[in-house]
Amino acid sequence: MTDEELIRSALNGGDASFAELVQRHKGKIFGMAARFVSDAHQLDDIAQEIFIRAWRNLAKFRADAPFEHWLSRIATRACYDFLRGKQRRGNLVPLDDQRDSEIPAEADSSSAADAREILVHAMQKLSPEERLVITLTELEEKSVREVAALTGWSESNVKVRAFRARQTLKKILEPTYER
Amino acid sequence: MKDESDKRLDELLSAVRAQKPDTSRLEYGFETRLMARLREEGSAAKPWHAFAWRLSPVFAGIVVALGIWTYCSPRDPEMDAAAVTASDEAQMVEYLTGNGI
Repeated sequence: MTDEELIRSALNGGDASFAELVQRHKGKIFGMAARFVSDAHQLDDIAQEIFIRAWRNLAKFRADAPFEHWLSRIATRACYDFLRGKQRRGNLVPLDDQRDSEIPAEADSSSAADAREILVHAMQKLSPEERLVITLTELEEKSVREVAALTGWSESNVKVRAFRARQTLKKILEPTYER
Repeated sequence: MKDESDKRLDELLSAVRAQKPDTSRLEYGFETRLMARLREEGSAAKPWHAFAWRLSPVFAGIVVALGIWTYCSPRDPEMDAAAVTASDEAQMVEYLTGNGI
């Protein structure tokens, strides 16, 4: 069955069809959301939030673009909302707890793990907008046009924000290089 | 032109990009957990009037049944005559006494 057929079935009350959609797309969603959080519990919450939003808005899905693109937009919005909420609340999860539930990386070499830790700490000092644009352009390797489609920002706005975010990140990382 | 800090940042980003976070443990049974939560939220969050439309066939059935019962039930001619007579008498009393004017 195609995604569109599964969506039609899910809208007619087929819970199993929606579960099938989730199974198909969860890998990509987890991979994308894991770029924004390093805590496993938070990642699970975000992934659930993304699919709940998709479920609630399923009737609004127009098949003019693939379901995956539509779901990615929802995921981007949910991750952005998470970053903004985190900024408002402050980081409430103690560092020890964060380490306990940290998401492991495949074949975590020590240098790659160090790089990851440095970047995670530096990224925490960025604003939600800067963090979103850096994650999408640099880590997810999306084009400016793709980022504009995902965020709803104009392409020129994406370019400006990406440039500024890089400058800020470089400034944050300067003391690390001087050591 | 890229300076030294740009190169360092690119190296750092490249190293992190190459790492794929292993989320397989979290993905295991995810759809089962999610569907359970959706069912739970669906039954808890819906107010009683959200289900009212489902009762519309029942109400339509009741209206049709009442219509059929009214149409088919035998009429009592004596009761009709008594009602008409009572109405006529009341009109006459009102006319003679002037109370109805």
